Amino acid sequence: MIDTGFDVILAAMILGVAAGAVLTRGMFAAVVMFIVYGLLVALAWLRLGAVDVGLAEAAIGAGLTGVLLLGALGRVNRQLGEDGTPPDAPHRPAAIRPVALLAALATAAALAWGFLMLPPPDGLHAPVAQNLAATQLGNPVTAVLLNFRAWDTLLETIILLAALVGVWSLAPDAAWGGRPGLAQRTRSGGVLSSFGRLLPPVGLLVGVWLVWAGADRPGGAFQGATVLAAVWLLASMAGLSDAPRVASLWLRAALIAGPAVFLALALAGLSVAGFLIVPPGAAKLVTVTVEALLTLSLTVMLGLLVLGPPERAA
Amino acid sequence: MMAAWFTGLAALLLLTIAAALWRIWRGPTAADRMMAAQLIGSGGVAVTLLLAAAGQPAARDVGLVLALLAAFAAVGFVKAASHRGAGDPEADDASDARAGRAEGRAHD
Repeated sequence: MIDTGFDVILAAMILGVAAGAVLTRGMFAAVVMFIVYGLLVALAWLRLGAVDVGLAEAAIGAGLTGVLLLGALGRVNRQLGEDGTPPDAPHRPAAIRPVALLAALATAAALAWGFLMLPPPDGLHAPVAQNLAATQLGNPVTAVLLNFRAWDTLLETIILLAALVGVWSLAPDAAWGGRPGLAQRTRSGGVLSSFGRLLPPVGLLVGVWLVWAGADRPGGAFQGATVLAAVWLLASMAGLSDAPRVASLWLRAALIAGPAVFLALALAGLSVAGFLIVPPGAAKLVTVTVEALLTLSLTVMLGLLVLGPPERAA
Repeated sequence: MMAAWFTGLAALLLLTIAAALWRIWRGPTAADRMMAAQLIGSGGVAVTLLLAAAGQPAARDVGLVLALLAAFAAVGFVKAASHRGAGDPEADDASDARAGRAEGRAHD
């Protein structure tokens, strides 16, 4: 009874915040609504028993995306004319709204169709539980992501790498290979720079804990890497560490370390049984190695994606 | 029985979060909206702790991540409010920042 009450209130609030984010006229209010939406959806995943997804939503939806949108909004506001209209407003085709509406409706319809076509619940619970022992892991989600369906995870990290290359390609010629974003200034001893020293140690601990705990309980490389990326961005925003040159060899080595070792171990599987097949005895070792290196690469990828294209010459 | 109490309290906290949502909708200033989001962040952490006490211990980790990243969003807000998005509102002299913003609008 009380459980149902909680769930009904939460669901109503999620719908209300979603409607608010779409209907509000101010862009800033919409961004704040989106951050709150991420937080409420994380609570909803928690109620559904999907703690791993809740962690990812809290870190990415409520955290990293919020900062990305706040930064983008600040940039848009600085580019607006005195009367608040964008410089290229007259050139926007009139058809853009109906087309966007149709695209959104088509996506929603495709998602609804996909949901209705899903096999009945508990379809894969039993097989995963039966084979969990062979992976030497305690968390079935990590077992699926890094063993049973490692293929998906490998491709996802490579997609993120491709997205980063896409962001970098927006750099102007003068800043090619240079440092992303503007040089950050803070008043030394001020609130911002003190906060930038206070929070990172705590964040570092939480991020590493999430990666380490991910083998046997909720957590994992992606969630941990998002927290670590936030820590890095915080130190950067507090002016404690400047963003690296994107042409730097160390940076590029860190970016490809995870996917490269993942791929190498996948190929090594060929000598045992086949591509991406992990010998059961070595499963824990392989999983932990891949997770540790993926965490490094994902941290750098996510941080650089938020920092944006290079804007300052090398 | 205790679990039902904890869930009931979490539901009450959700209602206080709903009150903060009204402040996000009304504003009127950006700082009002951001502070309401911070209040919701604190409320959300409290909800995760109550859910943890109600029998879902892993909820504590979600609370940790929410607490950490809510503070991070506040820093992102302060940064975005500063001149050209890379400064420190504490360091920007008020008149200088206003002039800079007007200049930025004219030239960017």
